[in-house]
Amino acid sequence: MNKIWTLFKREYRAAVRTKSFIISLVLVPIMMGGGFAAMIIMENNKDTDDKHFVVIDHSGLMIDPLNEALETRNKEEIFHSHTAEKIDAAFVVEFMKANEQDPQSQYLALSKKVESQEIHAFIEIGPDILHPAGENKEAFIKYYSQHSFDDDARYWFQNVVNNRVQNMRAAELNLDEAQAKNLMWWINVEGMGLFSVDEKTGEQQEAEKTNELQTFLVPYIMLLLMFMLVMMSAIPQLTNVMEEKSEKIAEVLLGTITPFQFMMGKVLGGIGVSLTTAAIYVGAGVGTLQYMGMESVIPMDVLPWFFIFTILNILMVGSGMAALGATCNDNKDAQSLTFPGILPAILPMFVMAPIIADPTGTLATTMSLIPPLTPMLMVLRLATSVTIPIWEPIVGLIGVTLFTIFTVWIGARIFRTAILIQGQKPNLATLYKYAFKG
Amino acid sequence: MMNIIELSGITKTFGSVKAVNNLSLEVPKGSIYGFIGPNGSGKTTTIRMIMKIMYPDVGKLLVNGQETNLERLQNVGYLPEDRGLYKKMKIGELLQFHGELNNGTDLPNRINQWLEHLELKAYKDKKVETLSKGMRQKLQFIATILHQPELIILDEPFSGLDPVNADMMKDIILELQQKGATIIFSTHDMAMAERMCDYIFMIYQGEKVLDGTLDNIQDQYGNDTLRIQSELGTAALEGLKGIEKVNNFGKLQELKLEEGVDPQKILADLLKKTRISKFEITKPSLNDIFIRIASPERKEAGNE
Repeated sequence: MNKIWTLFKREYRAAVRTKSFIISLVLVPIMMGGGFAAMIIMENNKDTDDKHFVVIDHSGLMIDPLNEALETRNKEEIFHSHTAEKIDAAFVVEFMKANEQDPQSQYLALSKKVESQEIHAFIEIGPDILHPAGENKEAFIKYYSQHSFDDDARYWFQNVVNNRVQNMRAAELNLDEAQAKNLMWWINVEGMGLFSVDEKTGEQQEAEKTNELQTFLVPYIMLLLMFMLVMMSAIPQLTNVMEEKSEKIAEVLLGTITPFQFMMGKVLGGIGVSLTTAAIYVGAGVGTLQYMGMESVIPMDVLPWFFIFTILNILMVGSGMAALGATCNDNKDAQSLTFPGILPAILPMFVMAPIIADPTGTLATTMSLIPPLTPMLMVLRLATSVTIPIWEPIVGLIGVTLFTIFTVWIGARIFRTAILIQGQKPNLATLYKYAFKG
Repeated sequence: MMNIIELSGITKTFGSVKAVNNLSLEVPKGSIYGFIGPNGSGKTTTIRMIMKIMYPDVGKLLVNGQETNLERLQNVGYLPEDRGLYKKMKIGELLQFHGELNNGTDLPNRINQWLEHLELKAYKDKKVETLSKGMRQKLQFIATILHQPELIILDEPFSGLDPVNADMMKDIILELQQKGATIIFSTHDMAMAERMCDYIFMIYQGEKVLDGTLDNIQDQYGNDTLRIQSELGTAALEGLKGIEKVNNFGKLQELKLEEGVDPQKILADLLKKTRISKFEITKPSLNDIFIRIASPERKEAGNE
């Protein structure tokens, strides 16, 4: 045990003292948060240059309403309410008569203008937008641009046109404003959590509104964090062991320690590194959320599961990687073995979305009970706001523990034999031989 | 004298190759045992089996009279043929690491003493990768003996060292023997083996071919060797009868006589041709014996 401790200390120090560790400690959250940050920055830093549009209004109803709305927008809406700073683009619209004889050439000419960035987009408003119900009615708004799908201007035109035609329909029916509002009122279904009883005080807890953060972001971040922790300690095992083999360090050490001690020292060192990182990230995350008054978002009951499953996952993947590393002779071997080695960490990422969508479904339940996938998927399910039957993580834990013992055992057998054999290409046949025949 | 290591009937095969075949060997406590043999003859495999890095297919291996596993193979220092050290570690830390792995005591003091002894003190806080090859070799030697092992196994400890450092290493090995350690080392330097070893063991194609003290071994080969220095050099030997083989060293020729040939007769024949400045009847050197066993001619003669 002393020797494993000595090896652990060396591995831990060697990993933690490197510049790459410190850099990744800082960079990874920046990259993970980078997407969100970029979105926020994009929101705040919109292109404020004027945008030109051409509107072909077949209905002939929208010229005045659009002009009115444009005036409000360009005078008021695009400026910050306090600082009066221009924060969005002004829209300039040219109304064009439809070319009834040759509509295609008109569209083509306008498309070319969009391509040459003379105009931002052109919009075609159908003739029957006021009374769309009935046969052979042409009620449409078409927005033609290079990136029409994620173009915010599209929604602006949609809102203006729809508001206006709704008002016009109300006026036709002689409804007053309140009546018109009642008529158009749309009620959303609110997603709520469940009522519960506080275990300490015995008081009944109100159900809370669920939000995006709880249903998607929390499980997503937990899964990503575990993925990162496994990757940062398991991937280096493969190349580290390969280097120790090819640089003959392994033989020096094996004169003193058993292959099992060697492997465990390395894998435990990796766990140490990951737990250090996890403690920093989780600590920082909890601290930030508390500071922001959002501590209710933190799934405190999931955190112990998270740590237990993360440790088992690193043991499982790490010992596998160390064993595979022992069979490698050069970087080429290592590259070809990296991918199969980290599959248990990558597969859960692919099924993340359907499992978050339905955490208690058959797919989620079944996959999360397959031992190599259990750590990540079970934590993912636990982190959602849906309650998972308590037997499932317990059965999952037992399964993973048994499977981890098996991978460590088989990993040690492969490691023991392969670490001294030079020049033998690793493949399934040799791995089987190392594992079961020695 | 008690044996620290006893091998009996050890065989190890790799695929179809018998690396070591039915090997028996006894290493007395406190001795220096030299392992010699051509490349690929089974020296390293034997050493690895003693170190429990590999396991024999057949045979028994006792350390201190007991069958041991690696867990209990304490107090052994091992310097493998291929040197390997963590390049990114500082020298002091590296020695501390190896010392701890070997359950060494009083490590900080010992590390300082040894670094001073082998003239590496100035590098204590430098990384291993900054050292030259010879320095690394000395560093690894310190890592091997830092914990005062009673059994020291060195696979080619002198390769890559300049004469000054090789001599320093030799002195340290002899010192360690004085203090009671048993030392096994393999080498291709026959002169070093002759001078240092109490016992010499030669393995050839997986089989033991020599084992005993230098005198014992040389006695097996008799006084069949002449060393001659003459004015004519090799030219004087032309046409001379009764000579099996000439080993030319330039200024000196070493002759192996055919069986039953009288050295005095050779001397008389030579004096007729040239002036002799040196004429010595001697036993064959270890180098000569090595070559006689492992030379290509012998291989062709069916490994007689």
